[in-house]
Order: sequence, then C-alpha cells, then structure tokens
Amino acid sequence: MRRFRLLLAAAAVVFVGLFGFARPGFAQTAPPEGTTPTSAAPAEGELSHSAQECIEQIESANSIDVDCQKAPNPMVPEKNEVIWGFVGFAVVFGLIAWKGLPAIKAGMNARTERIQGDLDAAESQRTEADTLLVEYRAQLADARNESARIIEEARQAADDVKRTLAARAESDIAEMRSRATADIESAKVQAIADLRGEVANLAIGAAEQVVERNLDRETNVALVESFINQVGAKN
Amino acid sequence: MADDRTTAYAEALFAVARAEGPLAEIEDELFRVAQVVRGNDELRDKLADPHIPVATRQQIVVDLLGGKAQPATTNLVSLVVGNGRVRDLPAIVDALVSKAAQEANKEVAEVRSAIPLTDDQRSRLADALGKATGKQVEVKVIVDPSIKGGIIAQVGDTVIDGSIRRRLDQLKHAL
Repeated sequence: MRRFRLLLAAAAVVFVGLFGFARPGFAQTAPPEGTTPTSAAPAEGELSHSAQECIEQIESANSIDVDCQKAPNPMVPEKNEVIWGFVGFAVVFGLIAWKGLPAIKAGMNARTERIQGDLDAAESQRTEADTLLVEYRAQLADARNESARIIEEARQAADDVKRTLAARAESDIAEMRSRATADIESAKVQAIADLRGEVANLAIGAAEQVVERNLDRETNVALVESFINQVGAKN
Repeated sequence: MADDRTTAYAEALFAVARAEGPLAEIEDELFRVAQVVRGNDELRDKLADPHIPVATRQQIVVDLLGGKAQPATTNLVSLVVGNGRVRDLPAIVDALVSKAAQEANKEVAEVRSAIPLTDDQRSRLADALGKATGKQVEVKVIVDPSIKGGIIAQVGDTVIDGSIRRRLDQLKHAL
C-alpha cells in the first residue's frame, strides 16, 4: 500500500512536471493578430534589432548568403523552453530522487530480498533435491547392489542346487551301478547255486533211483541189523 | 504238550485198554492208527467231518479196523471219533503211550523204519537203545518208506539217524 502511494505521488510529480511547466515549442513567428506585441518587439515601421543586424551582415559580406538569412531549425526549441524544461526536469528528478527513489529502492530491495529469498528457497530446494537425488541415487545403488546380491545369491543357490543334484545323480548312478553289479553278482551266485542245487538234485534223484532199485528187503534187513549192532556197540 | 483234555482222554483210553487187555497190543495198535491218522489228511478230514453222521464215521472205523485189531482198539477209536476228537487222536495216543511207558518205568523210543521189524529185531533194538541211552526203552515202530532204508530212533530229545534218507541228504549238502 505504501509502495502504491509512493508510486502514485511519483506519477503526479511527473505529470505536473510534464504538463504544468512545459510549453509547446514554437518557431519564430509573428505575433498573432489582435495581440499586443511585447515590450521588446519593435514598433510598426521599424526594423527589429535582429533584422538590422542581418542587414549589416549582408552588407558586410556583400552577399545574402549569411546565417541570418537562413530559416530557423524547427527541431531546436527556444531557450526558455529548454530552461523551463530543464528546471521541470530537475524538479521532477529531485522529487523522484527525494520521494520516489527510496520507495523504488525499498521496492527494489524488497523485490531483491524476495527474489533472493526465492533464490535461497530455490537453492535450498535444489540442495534438498540434490540431497534427495543423492539419497535416491544411493538407494538406487543400494537397490541395484541388493538386486545384484540377490541375483548372485540366487545364482549361487542355483549352482549349489545344480551341484547337489549332479552329485546326487552321480551318487544315484554309482549306487544303481553298484546295486546292478551286486545284483548281477548275486544273480550269478544264485544261478550257480541253483545250478549246483539242480545238479545235486539230479544226482541225488539218480542216487535215490539207484538206491531204490538196489535196496531190496534183504538189504533193508541188513541195514536194520547194522543199525542195531552199531547202536548196541556204542556202550 | 498235551492239554488237560488230551491228558484226560489218554488216561481214560489207558484205563480201558488196561482193563480190556492186552494193554501192550492195544497200545501198539492205537499207536499205529494214530500214525495213520496223522499222516493221512483225507482220512482225518473224513473222520472229522461234522456233516457226516457220527454213526457213518464210526462205521468207517469199524470197516478199517474190524477183524484186524483188538475190539477194544476199534471201540476206543470209535469213541474218539464219536466225540469229534479224531484230530486230537495222535496227541491222545502219544500221551497214552507216554503214560504206559511211565507206568512201566520205561522211555518210549519212536522208531521209523522202511520195513516192518520183527519181534526179535524190536527186542534187540530196545536193548541197544537202552544201552545207548541208559534207560529202559519201549520201542514203537512206525513204518515210513520215505526214509528209503535203515532206522531213525528218537528217545526223548535224543535222535539216532541211521537212515538212507539222511545219507542222501548229507550227500546233497556235500554237493
């Protein structure tokens, strides 16, 4: 609000300076009809001082190509206009420097402080963002490391499982081979035993047939007598 | 080991055999009948079949033993069959023989022979076994052709095997 009032006062001073003191510049012209010439203006029928000087310059130069004969530059203002303009400018400048500049300075300072605060806040946020970015990068790196560790562990576990399975398979194969060898050996032994038993049975069967064929009653009686004699002879 | 019922039957049969006499012959016939029943499943099943009337089963006994054994033997076997105890007959007779031997202060020698033994052979075998075991022995002969030849004698826990069957088994094991 205070800043707004100061800016309003500065605008009022500028307005007064521009439109209160300045006058429009006019080229050198005759006074308008009906107006009373100023006290410095020559009376009717008399040459003005400047005209007399111009005449003298023409006569001395014996040429009309003198400065006074040249038309005045419409872009160059009158001296009084310049003076008043300068005074007005100085007043306006002074007023502005006296009242407006501090307000402008204060506004600029406030703006600078605000901008600086914003910059500081931005810097702080940027720092915070950088910190967060570093943290995120650290977390990302940790996550990557963790994932790499997990992958490595999984790979090692898979390798362990593979090795274990391979070892077990080899063990199983060796055991199966050993068992098969043992079975073959056992079957061989059994086959030999069976063959031997079969041979024995055949031999015994043949022997039984021979015995039965030759074991008549007399032979049996002789065996009984032999048994009785042997048992009786033990004591 | 004989149970109480088997022992009771054995004592009853022993008492009847001793009362009817001759004890030794009846005992020997009962022993042989028991061995036949023990070794013949068909006969044992037929005599024990409850679907066959008791009179029919006893008639089978009479038909088998009539005229070939002492009447007391036939009656005692019929009694056991009639009471449905034919499956226990071997155990009953074993207990009876043991009791008879015990009464005579003797040990029963169960002798298996491929051929029947004469009385002289029985007597000399009893003497020989008595000398070998140091006991008074009563010989009970079972004709068993499966031993091929020779004799197997068992007195208590002592077994004396002089059979051809044993020699063949020894040869088989040696092979």
